[in-house]
Amino acid sequence: MVQTHHCEDHETVGEDKEKRPKFFINDHVDILIEILKRLDGRSLCVAASVCRLWCTIARNDSLWENLCFRHVSPPPSSVRSVVLALGGYKRLYTGCVRPVRSRLGRVRRASWAGDEVQLSLSLFCVDYYERLGGSNSNGRLVGESSPSSLMFLCKPVNV
Amino acid sequence: MKRDHQEISGSGSKPAESSSIKGKLWEEDPDAGGMDDELLAVLGYKVRSSDMADVAQKLEMLEKVMGTAQEDGISQLGDTVHFNPSDLSGWVQNLLIEFNGPTTTPDPNFNDDSEYDLRAIPGVAAYPPVKSDPGLENTRKRAKTESSSSSSSTTTRPVVLIDSQETGVRLVHTLMACAEAVQQDNLKLADALVKHIGLLASSQTGAMRKVATYFAEALARRIYRIFPPDSLDPSYNDKLQIPFYETCPYLKFAHFTANQAILEAFSMASRVHVIDFGLKQGMQWPALMQALALRPGGPPAFRLTGIGPPQPDNTDALQQVGWKLAQLAERIGIEFEFRGFVANSLADLEPEMLDIRPPEIEVVAVNAVFELHPLLARPGGIEKVVSSIKAMKPKIVTVVEQEANHNGPVFLDRFTEALHYYSTLFDSLEGSGVAPPSQDLAMSELYLGRQICNVVACEGMDRVERHEPLTQWRTRMETAGFSPVHLGSNAYKQASMLLALFASGDGYRVEENNGCLMLGWHTRPLIATSAWRLAGTESGSELTQELS
Repeated sequence: MVQTHHCEDHETVGEDKEKRPKFFINDHVDILIEILKRLDGRSLCVAASVCRLWCTIARNDSLWENLCFRHVSPPPSSVRSVVLALGGYKRLYTGCVRPVRSRLGRVRRASWAGDEVQLSLSLFCVDYYERLGGSNSNGRLVGESSPSSLMFLCKPVNV
Repeated sequence: MKRDHQEISGSGSKPAESSSIKGKLWEEDPDAGGMDDELLAVLGYKVRSSDMADVAQKLEMLEKVMGTAQEDGISQLGDTVHFNPSDLSGWVQNLLIEFNGPTTTPDPNFNDDSEYDLRAIPGVAAYPPVKSDPGLENTRKRAKTESSSSSSSTTTRPVVLIDSQETGVRLVHTLMACAEAVQQDNLKLADALVKHIGLLASSQTGAMRKVATYFAEALARRIYRIFPPDSLDPSYNDKLQIPFYETCPYLKFAHFTANQAILEAFSMASRVHVIDFGLKQGMQWPALMQALALRPGGPPAFRLTGIGPPQPDNTDALQQVGWKLAQLAERIGIEFEFRGFVANSLADLEPEMLDIRPPEIEVVAVNAVFELHPLLARPGGIEKVVSSIKAMKPKIVTVVEQEANHNGPVFLDRFTEALHYYSTLFDSLEGSGVAPPSQDLAMSELYLGRQICNVVACEGMDRVERHEPLTQWRTRMETAGFSPVHLGSNAYKQASMLLALFASGDGYRVEENNGCLMLGWHTRPLIATSAWRLAGTESGSELTQELS
């Protein structure tokens, strides 16, 4: 039905613009945010490459916070300050929560959802601590100071 | 595949001298099997043309074996008696037997069990020549093991494929035989067997090969009394623990389970003090600090006392770790205080040094991950440390130790135990899905290899890897006046989840054992976490279980 509508419009394009205001999602940022809030991690990353507005919105940490705590009872407010101090929710999600969730997906039990986040937070903290190493390569025999305590999460799982 | 004749002529002038013997020992039947090779006959060798291929094959095998044999093997060429060198085929065969069985003539007090399969012993003392046929088969097989790795794919000769499981079993038997020889102080035999182990190990792959190599090196060190120079440098060991932390879950398991016990003990406290007997890089504490920061009711004031060995370059490693932890604490909003103590041994510590505040003000936890067993090397060491711990009046003491008995009085028993333990450990490293053999993996293996060396080669005060099983630690703690604190279901859940994250989660097993948690690989437990409180004091964990 929309297509026939267009056909008719084709001849009267100039007049139409004034008669029928088109709906641009970008004009309604609040609706956009509501939609993006419900996306999964991968889609959110894809959404970030649509246009500059979407990119700015997708970078907003609160969206990622939602992702992390989606299936879990709302965490205490103190969590937010800790997570932000350690690097933000996007980093928490991509570095810890997502790999933890996908790995445990095989053996997941329903009651683990909260503990998964707990575990992710702990691993996140360890990762931050390692990144503090910085230029100080003391203790690292290998000489590289890149944190690798979370590397085991990145390794491909032999399914 | 004909050999160049010049190569044969170069290998010895003996045949020319002893050609007179050949008339007596060698009964050639000229009617059976064709003409002698003319060119070789000129040189004094009688080789039938039909045998040429066989002789060439054996010479090729001989060359390969000579290439891979230990240096000592070559010298044996001069010592052996070849009964009929002009019989080229048989001569080469003798040489092959010599190379593949570098053992000396057996000691009269060594009872040869055929299961050790030392049929390759040269000469007629052990086995009369009649039985040399099965010996030939063995040597042919063994030579093939050496050559199979390099060229079996390219040859068209019929190759007897060696069952590597067979050499695996043989390898274990030889290791045990060597340890037994050391136990009986039969160092000559032990020496010969150790070299044999090297050859057998090179035919294996993967974990078995690495374990065998480390054990062989340790045995050699014990036999020759060459001890590793940096075996007593604990700071080097601390650094090697970092890649071990990263590649496998044992240390992470230890940290997470101990932290859970400490967290539960700290549940109501407003000021807490953790005394870490082995601070190293402080990897255990970020997770605890994060959990304390998110505690319902807000974080307590957190004080950490870290103890560590002196650094060879006199840097203050403890202070650097303390600084990093302080930065983390500031980030997540915890009041933090740190003190570092350098000590050669935990037994040198006096509780007064640690500035322990009264329990009404501050709750104390003592943490010892792999730090208690070295104290068993000094008489009175462990007793002193346990009494120091009691003087600190801790609410909880967390102990993580290897689940193995490497401290028995008999060397052979320790050796057997260690062989099983470290084989399992290396197996788990192999199977943990660390796909490319990374440098971290190599360092982890080195870390374990040094432990193996210490258990096998050292004695007395040098032997610090005195692992004891959980049952013995339990007895020790209970007689010293501690009662066990059960690690609850939270710890078990965290541990199970942590292990499921590792690529081969199905290989690792968490077991609960009377309130203690053990992590193992398949059916073998490898490390155990336990928690203790002073007997007679009430435990905090009962309260937290009600709340959670």
